Amino acid sequence: MKQRLLIVGAGMATAYLLQQLDQQIHDYCITVVGDEEDVCYNRVLLSNLLAGENSEDDLHMLQAMERVQFIPGSRITDLGTTARIAFSENGESFPYDKLVLATGSSVARPDTDGTELKGSMVFRSLADARELHTLETCGKRAVVIGAGLLGLEAAHGLVKLGFETCVVHRNPVIMNRQLDSEGGSHLQQELEAKGIAFRLSSSLKEIRANDGRVSAIELDDGSVEVCDLLLFASGIVPNVQLARRGGIDADRGILVDAYLRTSKPGVFALGECCEFGQQGFGLVAPIRRQAEVLARYLCDTPTSGFAIEDYPTQLKISGVDIYRAGELDSDAEQIVLRDSASGLYRRLVVRDNRLVGAVLVGDKRGGTWYSELIREGCDISALRNSLIYGKEVAEAQLGAAA
Amino acid sequence: MKECNTTCPYCGVGCGVRAEVEGAKVIKVVGDGDHPANAGRLCVKGTALAETLGDEGRLLHPQLAGERVSWNHAIDTIATKIRQTIETHGPESIAMYLSGQLLSEDYYVANKLMKGFLGSANVDTNSRLCMSSAVAAHKRAFGEDIVPCTYADLDTCDLLVMVGSNAAWTHPVVYQRIVAAKKDNPDKRIVVIDPRRTATCDIADLHLQIKPGSDAYVFSGLLNHLQNNSAIDEEYVARHTRGLPDTLAAIGDLDMDTVAESCGLDPIELNRFYSWYANTDRTVTMFSQGVKQSATGTDKCNAIINCHLATGRIGKSGAGPFSITGQPNAMGGREVGGLANQLAAHMDFSPAEIDRVQRFWEAPDMIDAPGLKAVDLFQAAADGKIKFLWIMATNPAVSLPDSDMVKRALERCEFVVVSDCTEQTDTATHADLLLPAAPWGEKDGTVTNSERVISRQRKLVAPTGEARPDWQIITDVAQRLGLKQYFDYPNPAAVFREHAALSGFENEGSRAFDIGALAQLSDEEYANMEPIRWPVRTNDDDSEPLADGRFYTADGRAKIVPLVPELPQAQNDITVNTGRLRDQWHSMTRTGRVPRLSQHRDFFSISVNPEDAAKAGLVEGDLAQLENSLGMVRGLVMLDPGIARGQSFIPIHWSEQFSTLGKVSQLIPAVTDPVSGQPQSKFSCANIAAVPVACWGMVFSKDPLQAEGIDYWSRIAVKGGYLTIIADGRSPARVAEFLKQALADKKQSVSAYSDAEHGDLREVSSNNGRISHALFLHPDRNALPLRAWLSTLADQTPGWELLAGFSSERPDTGKMICSCWEVGETEIVTAIAAGASSVEALGDALKCGTQCGSCIPELKAILYSEDEQIRNAG
Repeated sequence: MKQRLLIVGAGMATAYLLQQLDQQIHDYCITVVGDEEDVCYNRVLLSNLLAGENSEDDLHMLQAMERVQFIPGSRITDLGTTARIAFSENGESFPYDKLVLATGSSVARPDTDGTELKGSMVFRSLADARELHTLETCGKRAVVIGAGLLGLEAAHGLVKLGFETCVVHRNPVIMNRQLDSEGGSHLQQELEAKGIAFRLSSSLKEIRANDGRVSAIELDDGSVEVCDLLLFASGIVPNVQLARRGGIDADRGILVDAYLRTSKPGVFALGECCEFGQQGFGLVAPIRRQAEVLARYLCDTPTSGFAIEDYPTQLKISGVDIYRAGELDSDAEQIVLRDSASGLYRRLVVRDNRLVGAVLVGDKRGGTWYSELIREGCDISALRNSLIYGKEVAEAQLGAAA
Repeated sequence: MKECNTTCPYCGVGCGVRAEVEGAKVIKVVGDGDHPANAGRLCVKGTALAETLGDEGRLLHPQLAGERVSWNHAIDTIATKIRQTIETHGPESIAMYLSGQLLSEDYYVANKLMKGFLGSANVDTNSRLCMSSAVAAHKRAFGEDIVPCTYADLDTCDLLVMVGSNAAWTHPVVYQRIVAAKKDNPDKRIVVIDPRRTATCDIADLHLQIKPGSDAYVFSGLLNHLQNNSAIDEEYVARHTRGLPDTLAAIGDLDMDTVAESCGLDPIELNRFYSWYANTDRTVTMFSQGVKQSATGTDKCNAIINCHLATGRIGKSGAGPFSITGQPNAMGGREVGGLANQLAAHMDFSPAEIDRVQRFWEAPDMIDAPGLKAVDLFQAAADGKIKFLWIMATNPAVSLPDSDMVKRALERCEFVVVSDCTEQTDTATHADLLLPAAPWGEKDGTVTNSERVISRQRKLVAPTGEARPDWQIITDVAQRLGLKQYFDYPNPAAVFREHAALSGFENEGSRAFDIGALAQLSDEEYANMEPIRWPVRTNDDDSEPLADGRFYTADGRAKIVPLVPELPQAQNDITVNTGRLRDQWHSMTRTGRVPRLSQHRDFFSISVNPEDAAKAGLVEGDLAQLENSLGMVRGLVMLDPGIARGQSFIPIHWSEQFSTLGKVSQLIPAVTDPVSGQPQSKFSCANIAAVPVACWGMVFSKDPLQAEGIDYWSRIAVKGGYLTIIADGRSPARVAEFLKQALADKKQSVSAYSDAEHGDLREVSSNNGRISHALFLHPDRNALPLRAWLSTLADQTPGWELLAGFSSERPDTGKMICSCWEVGETEIVTAIAAGASSVEALGDALKCGTQCGSCIPELKAILYSEDEQIRNAG
């Protein structure tokens, strides 16, 4: 009999896993249960959808697949990991031989009163995007809490949608997890030029309501931002409730080993819901790698297993490319390029004639090359003069000098 | 479009050029095929003449104390100052300092006003720096300043001795003529006598690399040799000369070995020259600044002339001592009397001559003795004796020796008038009154070249701004002084007629300079005047001067001048020689504006022997400093094995406008020849040292970069802007900080690159899509972008990619070798690799060397070195 593979969650991690499985020879009968009405769409493009730059069709990640059954709009709420069976909210049961948890993450709402008020929402799903699309935007103000990837993407979409948009961020630097302060400020300038306002080094103190709707927020410095829409985008929390209920070890995320195995036999986890080596995962590159490892493991194809690598961060926010790889240690040697006209900013970090870090804002060309150089630890002395201009220029100059 | 024949304003060759004028613009200048001096050939400077015209940097209006004033006010001011100064301090307190750039008509009225009507003989000219020793020697030997040769003699001679002349660079068209003549007559021998192995040595059968200043030994020894080897033309000497016995006695027993030792020569080579000379009737000795710019320049010229007189090789085809002058109208200036020790029209200060000129001019305030020569004149100003000084068409702050003394003179003199076409010069900055003079192409008149050919310079376009020709400015002042009846010329033709008439006045064969027949030219004939060699006598006598063996001395005999050779004394590490570069002219006020003329040699450099450089810890391109008690220069080191050990060569062209500490006159003492007053610009001494540099930089800027305060900078014009090289002892970060103000520009976008650890700082700033500046700083000059790429920045789209400092699309053509066709060294090497094995083949492939030909020596050198590499590799 064919093995039953149950995947809980129909997000991007699942899409990658299915793509990888499709490339393997296997005889799994696959069932995907997702709590959203939509399955396996590209969440990264949601802000573009909001901005009207992409259509819903553009978001589809999968072609029709044989041997995969999708059950959307159904939430799995319980697991019997010994009996190998999962139960949905409405009582359906899903026996499995192998279970993959790809439950993703949720946006954390602050513990302030009023986060459930009308006009207060998150922007995480296609459904959220559709809801935002129905809103009256003309002359309306939106405040986004959080200037990470999620918040900035949302802000970009909201501006495009017609909202006057302000982003509130605790840190003085936007995208502070990915960028150095100058890179952040370059990006900020670019985004400001596109109409996004910022309140940095500020946090939400109180939500004010009027007639049951959000009307304004007060910040920790006592100032008030009037708003018709309040969007939370300040960090994500892995969805581990289901795993916990199934007795699977979880910390911040569901704990997995290098083959994405959880503490229970036959149960795997990947994507934003999992934790490996005390790290969570939110970016596409490592999750794709997890999907590859897991697909091979499930199909008994040899694999080296998942390992923490310094995956470069590659993003596009509001049309601005961001690339970041390696460490941005400010004690090392810095090569910096700034261009006021195009908003371009690049910083390369060099130690002992080796490239150890790179951050690129505005133009990520060369990023892959920098990652390679960082990974391989090559001596870059000969290329140093033109390293920052990318591979072609550096090699041409090397050629010219020879 | 109209075409107009005129004469090139650069060197003393005096080439005819044909200008194509469209509307108010000269669009192209080509050689005039009908002109006797060049028969259509032009050098690169002449070819680029059209590019030197235009409004850029021009002085457009009279300026009094920096404020624009009307011409009327300016003329009034001068007249008042002259009158007051003469009344208070006497006529000897006023002076004029003129220029070989002036036309004869300008010169004539200036000289007439000063010597006949203001009572001051203090009118001298920058020709003093260029050929006054030749004038003095001519006068001592011939009784009159006569050049007894023409360029045709260079064709017909069998032995050409070139002394102190790098004609390949300084008189390229004459040089090419010599090259062609040698090709036609392979038996023609060429000897170059020069302390440097220059490009001119390319065609030499023999190069005598003498010690600096030892020329007179060579020729005194030669005279002895001629005497001892019966090579004296006894008959000529007996009939037409005097002084040979005294001269031989003065020389004494100076034998070949002594000469060889004094000159640092191999006696065998010296002997070869002596025997060639002794045995070649048709010998021309062409001599130039290398001989004249010396404390014993007049003696050196006479040492040369003595040999020609003793062998009777003068006044004959293919024979004679031939002084080649530096400036376009040095000769014309001599003819009108533009030197303080000449009166006018080749007349001196004998009572009869003074009387004759006084009667001709009807002059009320005739001078009775010579005035102050250039260096003395400025020294007098520095001492407070000259109170009013009018400088025309020259830049003495750069060109006179001992620049600090000149600066003191300009500062101390109560009223300094400067007439010039350029607003910013080192001299103009000291002017109380600046007058916009019409330059070449905007005025009419005549010039005389080195072979006595008088040619018209013609007005091609209307004067720019309020510029006026010098003759007009001077006569306006004269008229304002109440001298209208004597200075009432409707046009330059009228001035010329008077000058011609004076030359013929009571002449009757007593003065060789006689153009009396031209005194009757109508305005129209003057307008259409063809080039003509003087004398142009009224009596149909068209014989060449000196052809009949008659000289213009009291007894009609030439004087063989007794003299004792002397060597200049070296005091410091290194001797300093100076001179021109191939593609530049004087203080670069004209040529410095033309990008392609800065491609052959770009930034201010000092050439030294490689071993001396190594001893001072210097390699090619390093920053070196030459210093003596007078001053200091700083320049990039150029290694030149053609320079003997213990010597250096510094070009004369750089002023404060183009470089910091690039004025070689800073190092030159105000030592002059006692007879001619010509400064010893070819010899000084200095200590050489490496200058530590922590930051090198290249700056492209749309406007000239104000780099004052930087240890070394030097600037050239490039397309659409300027390129400045900088070197400084401070770190790149500090230099960047320092330059920030100079480069500040509002409304600009900036791309910046910094690798602080390596001191690699780059910045490109733009305004409205055009680059306003690009700055590259680095501790290692080899890490800076190439000049060829930097020179294209005006055409590039601004963007951060430019910070990479090069473009892989645009091949670098290397050092510019052929400026006419803009062919670089890399292209030449590539063509050689592809099989071009001769100058001609390179010309066929790349056109290099096919126009002015002045790069041919360099082409040959590259061919040789490529060939050598192949041989070594093989």
